[in-house]
Amino acid sequence: MAISNPSREAILARIREGLRTPAPPIEAKTFYGPIFEAVENPLERFQQECKANLMECLLTANSAGSAQALAQVLLSLPDGEVFVQDDPVLRRLIGAAGSQRQIRWSSQGGPLEKSRATVTLADALIAQTGSVFVSASCGGRGASVVAPTHIVYATEKQLVPDLVTALRNATADGRLERNSYACVISGSSRTADIEKILVQGAHGPMRLAVIVETGA
Amino acid sequence: MSTNIPTPTPAGETPSALTAAQKFLRDAATKSADLVHREIIRKNMDSYDAAHMRGRARIKDWEAARRKCQEIKREAINNLDKYLLQFEQKVLERGGHVFWAANGDEACAYIKDLAVSRGVKTVVKSKSMVTEEIHLAPVLEAAGMHVWETDLGEFIVQLCNEAPYHIVTPAMHLDRNQIRDLFREKLGEDIPDADPQKLVALARRKLREAFFAAEMGISGANFLVADSGAVAISTNEGNGRLSTSLPRIHVAVTGIEKVIPRLEDLGTLWPVLATSGTGQPITTYSTLVGGPKRADEADGPEEFHVVLLDNGRSGLLANAEEREVLHCIRCGACLNICPVYRNIGGHTYNTTYPGPIGSVLTPHLRGSEFQHLSYASSLCGACTSVCPVNINLHHHLLHNRRDFTKAGGAKSAGERRQFKLWRTVMLHPRLFALGGWMMRRSLRLLYGMGLAGTALDPMRAWSRKRRPVPLPAQSFRARWKKELWKKDLRKNELGRNAGGNQ
Amino acid sequence: MARKISLFVPCFVDQLQPEVAVDTVKVLRRIGCEVDFPTDQTCCGQPAFNSGFWDEARPCAERFLRVFKDAEVVVCPSGSCTTMVRVFYPELLASGALHDEAVALGKRTFELSEFLVKVMGLTDVGAAFPHSVTYHASCHGLRELKLRDEPLRLLRGVKGLKLVDMLRSDECCGFGGTFATKFESISVAMGESKCDSVAVTGAEYVTAIDPSCLMHVQGILGRRKDRARTIHLASILASEAKA
Repeated sequence: MAISNPSREAILARIREGLRTPAPPIEAKTFYGPIFEAVENPLERFQQECKANLMECLLTANSAGSAQALAQVLLSLPDGEVFVQDDPVLRRLIGAAGSQRQIRWSSQGGPLEKSRATVTLADALIAQTGSVFVSASCGGRGASVVAPTHIVYATEKQLVPDLVTALRNATADGRLERNSYACVISGSSRTADIEKILVQGAHGPMRLAVIVETGA
Repeated sequence: MSTNIPTPTPAGETPSALTAAQKFLRDAATKSADLVHREIIRKNMDSYDAAHMRGRARIKDWEAARRKCQEIKREAINNLDKYLLQFEQKVLERGGHVFWAANGDEACAYIKDLAVSRGVKTVVKSKSMVTEEIHLAPVLEAAGMHVWETDLGEFIVQLCNEAPYHIVTPAMHLDRNQIRDLFREKLGEDIPDADPQKLVALARRKLREAFFAAEMGISGANFLVADSGAVAISTNEGNGRLSTSLPRIHVAVTGIEKVIPRLEDLGTLWPVLATSGTGQPITTYSTLVGGPKRADEADGPEEFHVVLLDNGRSGLLANAEEREVLHCIRCGACLNICPVYRNIGGHTYNTTYPGPIGSVLTPHLRGSEFQHLSYASSLCGACTSVCPVNINLHHHLLHNRRDFTKAGGAKSAGERRQFKLWRTVMLHPRLFALGGWMMRRSLRLLYGMGLAGTALDPMRAWSRKRRPVPLPAQSFRARWKKELWKKDLRKNELGRNAGGNQ
Repeated sequence: MARKISLFVPCFVDQLQPEVAVDTVKVLRRIGCEVDFPTDQTCCGQPAFNSGFWDEARPCAERFLRVFKDAEVVVCPSGSCTTMVRVFYPELLASGALHDEAVALGKRTFELSEFLVKVMGLTDVGAAFPHSVTYHASCHGLRELKLRDEPLRLLRGVKGLKLVDMLRSDECCGFGGTFATKFESISVAMGESKCDSVAVTGAEYVTAIDPSCLMHVQGILGRRKDRARTIHLASILASEAKA
């Protein structure tokens, strides 16, 4: 849709004209050290941050352990369908978990309001903030926000120490060229809009569980 | 000394006759005397202060973080055209649309026309101060659409038909009982114990229907990432996620100054924004949206529009001394720390952006009608001390005052004459000494007759609510000339006991 | 080697709170300085400057530079007035020939506690004040001159003085110059919050390095039934043990 937008040129012209006067200089800054504390032990830090974020971090040693962990989380949910990112890894995992639930796959579209939980992979895990980095290729946009419980399956190899590294990696592998959306998720949804009291579970998931498979 | 801000209209006259400055003075007087309000804000701010300090302690070098953020925004703003064009290019490549709006009317018209042409009946909105600035919701509602504010605080103030009280916590001024009563009246459901958890759950239930029914989702933007063509949105509730995932059209409305050069800049900006805004290490959802849904994606909007709003920002850009005001990342820290804000609250400012940043910014965006805001400050500098991008806010207030005085305009001639007189006195020490002596003498007489604080008292703006200023018989210079110039003060002991300075 | 001090007395101290300046002289002489008061001084220009009347403030600043031209060291019992000279004179006189002179004068102009601790290296100036005292951190001294510890160190060096911490000691008292009268209701509300914080400490006295803050706080304390009274830091430091 070609829109006529005469203001575009006018605004750009005003910006260029305005910038002809340089801004006053700021004091030269001598060396300053690292802004954030270096992350010594990423896995340990990730677990600590998950706890602080009110997320569940489930460490498993192998795929059998992961399937079991997934099965346990699914058992704890009320009856109803579960939405799963359609990926061979998750097809295997769901199979191994042996759940009797109705599964809705992402290849059929987005999750429905009645979905009890969503299960997705992640692009990365970030130790500094206890975050899960997802994008549209992890089952779409709704997959990480519609259902009351979001379960992520990731491996320790996907864990990076900090935000800057995660974002640099995303730039390097063209994540936003190949995805229309990405999100760094650092907890369950919450709000403090009432008397600044923290309430968990606003519009997004109340529960975020991350299965981290260590080892090979 | 007389004040030269016009006195408020006496009770009974039509409020519409009040200028913005008069209305401000009247509302400020009411609010600052409201002890219930003071207590609510005190509690909220104490809670924020504690969380904020905890958050800062998590960052190894807070000053380095502020400096880095300042440098990022400085680079972005001083190359604004380049980075905006890079951003636009990327969005267009991915099938999105970018509309440049000179002012609020153009922005609203574009969005309204888009919504009408697409048959939009229901709109869900996540928090955006820019949409408040351009008054978007009324325009869409006038065109027959239902607009739902989905951020809980915004949802609450929408229900009671008020403007947001604070740019980060819109319903800070209401307690749980008031919110419970509001929900009972407007949503038809009662929560007798006003438990915040249950109130939130009720809001979630009600808004769920809106999320799934809406054809259009409107969001703001915290940052526009130039190298990725992404709109970055930081939220906690998940409403921003749902608004930008479920409806088939997503419109992001943003000021042109939100741009930053690189995706990795968010590695510093995200934690700093969250720390300053709420004391969190990072907000729960740090979302990046670059375009409409791609063919291979499971879901998402079919259309993506970014509306870039100027509305006076390019004018501020041209003012090189004030340009850094555009670095603001809208964290709200300056509002939280400001003692003036804490006493008069967000609504008294009667502007989209209240607090110190609002006081600096609004006259430039909306005109000299709001210049009184630059004067409504004790220049304590607390705002500058917390700004995460190192904007020298209180010095900008001084600059605003200087510029308004130079421009003449609405500035009262009376004050100008006063300062010309003041200058004459201050350039002549004998005049100063004489004038001071006369003032003390006459005030002592006046106060001796019990007239302190009355209409006859030139210092009544002080003495009305405070004990009158001290009026010593002798000035320091008189005492110096008499005895103190002598080297040895022991002989001139003042017989001082611990009496304090009265 | 006796330091030669030129005393800079804020205009409102000269007229309304002279005891602050008298006590400043006393303290400086006690530690062995020679004190002179250039009688030609009037005002640093801050009221006009803060109100936006820079053209009226400028001649005051230029005059101030002339009055203190030959001063070796200038000491002032006010954080806000010292700030005017050190921080704002260079900006006010930015485009004039006097800019460099302003910068140089700023470098040798000190607030009292700053002078005692940072220049003279003292924290004990021989004072005795056996009372409970709480400290209000005046804004200019704190944020423009970066004086956080110096006044506290001096207070801790006073014999018999019991220092009580105040919550939100760095919250503005609400004076703010002409703000106090132009925005009376806000100024008074801020002052009341400050007086509440003082009352919680139970201290007999509240002190600060800025006499204007204290005048405003005393104005409000005077209307309440509160116990505390204001006293300038100079007056505490000037107090001595009874023989």
